[in-house]
Amino acid sequence: MSAAVELLGFTCTYDGATRAALAGVDLAVPRGALVVVMGRSGAGKSTLARCLARIVPCFVRGVVSGDLRLGGATIADRRPGELAGAVGMVFQDFEAQLFSSDVTQELVFGLEQTGVPPGEMRARVHAALAAVGLAGFEDRDPATLSGGEKQRLAIAGLLAMRPAVMVLDEPTTDLDPQGRADVLRVLAALRAEGLTLVLIDHDPLTAADADLLVLLEDGRVAAAAPPAAVLADVAALERAGVRPPDVSRVFAGLGLPAPPLDLDAAADRLRASCGPPAVPPVLPAAPPRPPLIAVQGLRHRYAAGRDALRDVSVTIGRGEFVALVGRNGSGKTTLAKHLNGLLRPTAGRVTIAGADVATMPLEDLAQRVGYVFQDPDHQLFAPSVEEEVAFGPRNLGLDGAAVEERVTEALAAVGLGDRTADAFLLDKGARQRLAVASVLALRPEVLVLDEPTTGLDAAEQARMLGLLRRLHQAGRTIVVITHTPWVVAEYAERVLLLADGRLRYDGGIREFFGDPTLADEPAARPPDVTRLGRRLGCTPLTVDELVSWLRSPG
Amino acid sequence: MRLSPYVPATTPLHRLHPVTKVAGFLALVVAAFLVDRPLCLLPLAAGVTALLALGRALARIRQLRLMFVLVTVVTVVIWTFFYQRGAPLHPSAAGFQFGVATAIRLDLFLAMSLLLLAVARVEELAYAFARLGVPYVVGFTLTLAFRLVPVFIDASITILEAQRCRGLEFGRGGPLVRLRRFVPVLVPVFIGALRRADHMAMALELRGFNSGRPRTTFLRARAGWRDAVAATLAFATVTTYVTLWASGAGALVLP
Repeated sequence: MSAAVELLGFTCTYDGATRAALAGVDLAVPRGALVVVMGRSGAGKSTLARCLARIVPCFVRGVVSGDLRLGGATIADRRPGELAGAVGMVFQDFEAQLFSSDVTQELVFGLEQTGVPPGEMRARVHAALAAVGLAGFEDRDPATLSGGEKQRLAIAGLLAMRPAVMVLDEPTTDLDPQGRADVLRVLAALRAEGLTLVLIDHDPLTAADADLLVLLEDGRVAAAAPPAAVLADVAALERAGVRPPDVSRVFAGLGLPAPPLDLDAAADRLRASCGPPAVPPVLPAAPPRPPLIAVQGLRHRYAAGRDALRDVSVTIGRGEFVALVGRNGSGKTTLAKHLNGLLRPTAGRVTIAGADVATMPLEDLAQRVGYVFQDPDHQLFAPSVEEEVAFGPRNLGLDGAAVEERVTEALAAVGLGDRTADAFLLDKGARQRLAVASVLALRPEVLVLDEPTTGLDAAEQARMLGLLRRLHQAGRTIVVITHTPWVVAEYAERVLLLADGRLRYDGGIREFFGDPTLADEPAARPPDVTRLGRRLGCTPLTVDELVSWLRSPG
Repeated sequence: MRLSPYVPATTPLHRLHPVTKVAGFLALVVAAFLVDRPLCLLPLAAGVTALLALGRALARIRQLRLMFVLVTVVTVVIWTFFYQRGAPLHPSAAGFQFGVATAIRLDLFLAMSLLLLAVARVEELAYAFARLGVPYVVGFTLTLAFRLVPVFIDASITILEAQRCRGLEFGRGGPLVRLRRFVPVLVPVFIGALRRADHMAMALELRGFNSGRPRTTFLRARAGWRDAVAATLAFATVTTYVTLWASGAGALVLP
């Protein structure tokens, strides 16, 4: 039987580019398979997805060569419109995939465009909604759905067209853990029904379950094999800019071959070859810190009438590294925005070094608490990197020499060398660091960051987090909103968990990931290395920790 | 905050045929722009208010009351002071009258637009445009703009906050300086809009939009007695206002 999708010596070069985005790719996707594609930013993942739907070169211009086959027949000469229905493609930006005023209209849109008889539409709508777990949503306005629901609606919009292949380009990157889990569950169900899926994703654990794992590196296939083989090769993954699974890193650190993907099996192997872990009697803990920010009885009610925060009291010490976690809608961002006066308390108060934030002039606040928004594109506007960074200091009314000093200092801190570069041409990781620099130039004592690692590849994430660690070591107070457990485990000293507008947990990281009463919180699900350690009777937070405990003679 | 202008309901206005809704809207707009006398505009205003109540759209007007107040005040003040040619900044009674008439007309136009958007889904508008001879692709693209407005408002709020965090203050300085302060907000909004539009165009393509294949339509709109009533009323209104205009009775009586 022919493959569902086949690429033969496929090469793609965008117009105006000097380098091929895909170079001689040979790949066969078996019918009904789940293929996960991984690689660093710029490796060609999105290009591959777009080529499969013929968006490239028909819509985004480029030159392609080699053959592309769908179910054995070449589609190298087809327009995306002709393939609509046969190949579905979902992308990260879920807002851009919805254009209708209610869910039913959204689903029939593609059916109308491709001439499906109106009498058939209702049945297709119901089936597609059931498949993505949105049955009963027929009359809802898509604008009222959560991110995860919107993305599932986008998937349903394509499913209703009954595609043979579905290509998904980072469909969960902008979703919270719950939304991500829901989307992945839907994909698993679709796979069980025989749909061929090509999924681009950053998480090696998602890939563990795939039929085929493809590593792209500089537009070439660096590996295309069953996941167990690829995920065991830490060096190859790191070369490709992918974060290797914790278990693989632990095994590599101990010099053990063939790490299993399953945690229980991994624990058995470690027990057999290493003996019990030698946990030092005193684990490193954060030193006590003098208080800097005091939040007292904070309540916030939005105009819509819902209490986003109810009676939150917490003190943050000078020089602390705090992770702020919780589900979407739990109040994380609302709390963070009170720290620099973007929101005013409905009741209660927030003070910094004793001064009330609500009465502090904007200028002072900007120099006390820097706030880096999740999407750097929400703040970058200047024609060059240095202009961007100079914007804040100029707003403070500083003179030329002082502005210059701050620009130099901030750019050095984030590691951006080319001051005259066009900010819009930088990649996402560099734009994120530029956004941090533009806030650092105000020399704030406190830095608040809203999901600073979202949408970055492993190398960029490591760079961003390394930057935060350096700033922290230099004495800055850091508050990070994050959904990523390993970021909390490896970098934070303290975690604040919000649930339903209340502070549900406030304390150390090791205790947080070990607290059985928090089992219902996705944010409290420990990273794999911690879960592996648990099976061995210890609570490591990082791979290095577990490796060192297992290595020392116990 | 709910930013979508559509009011989900099944009032008699909601149940009209999409073409009736759009044609009725156009008829009322024509009527409003034919006459200048405030007295002649008042019945129209009363009629539109009744329709807003019928279509449960009064709440939308209330949400945007500030806009109506602003439009009214600015229009009246400007015309009062600038109506007299050659003698700017001299308030005139004629100018005041004209200002009041223009303000009512603009407010009416805004209210009628809100009414249309409150009782017609964007899909209905696209459908009506198509039935009225506007090419489908053009009509649909126009309606997309309505969907994007709330998304851009959201983005603008976030961007405004982000720049405030970097010390951007709008309240200070002369008008030019203040205007320049909007650059750091407008550039990201504009670039975000372009990026979003690009993604949207891809998503449309992927669902077969403009693929040249024969289209079908899910929406089954049938005209009924309500449409006959609405059409008669709209026709009567336009005829009345055309008569007022032709006879000169609708013109402003200037002192």
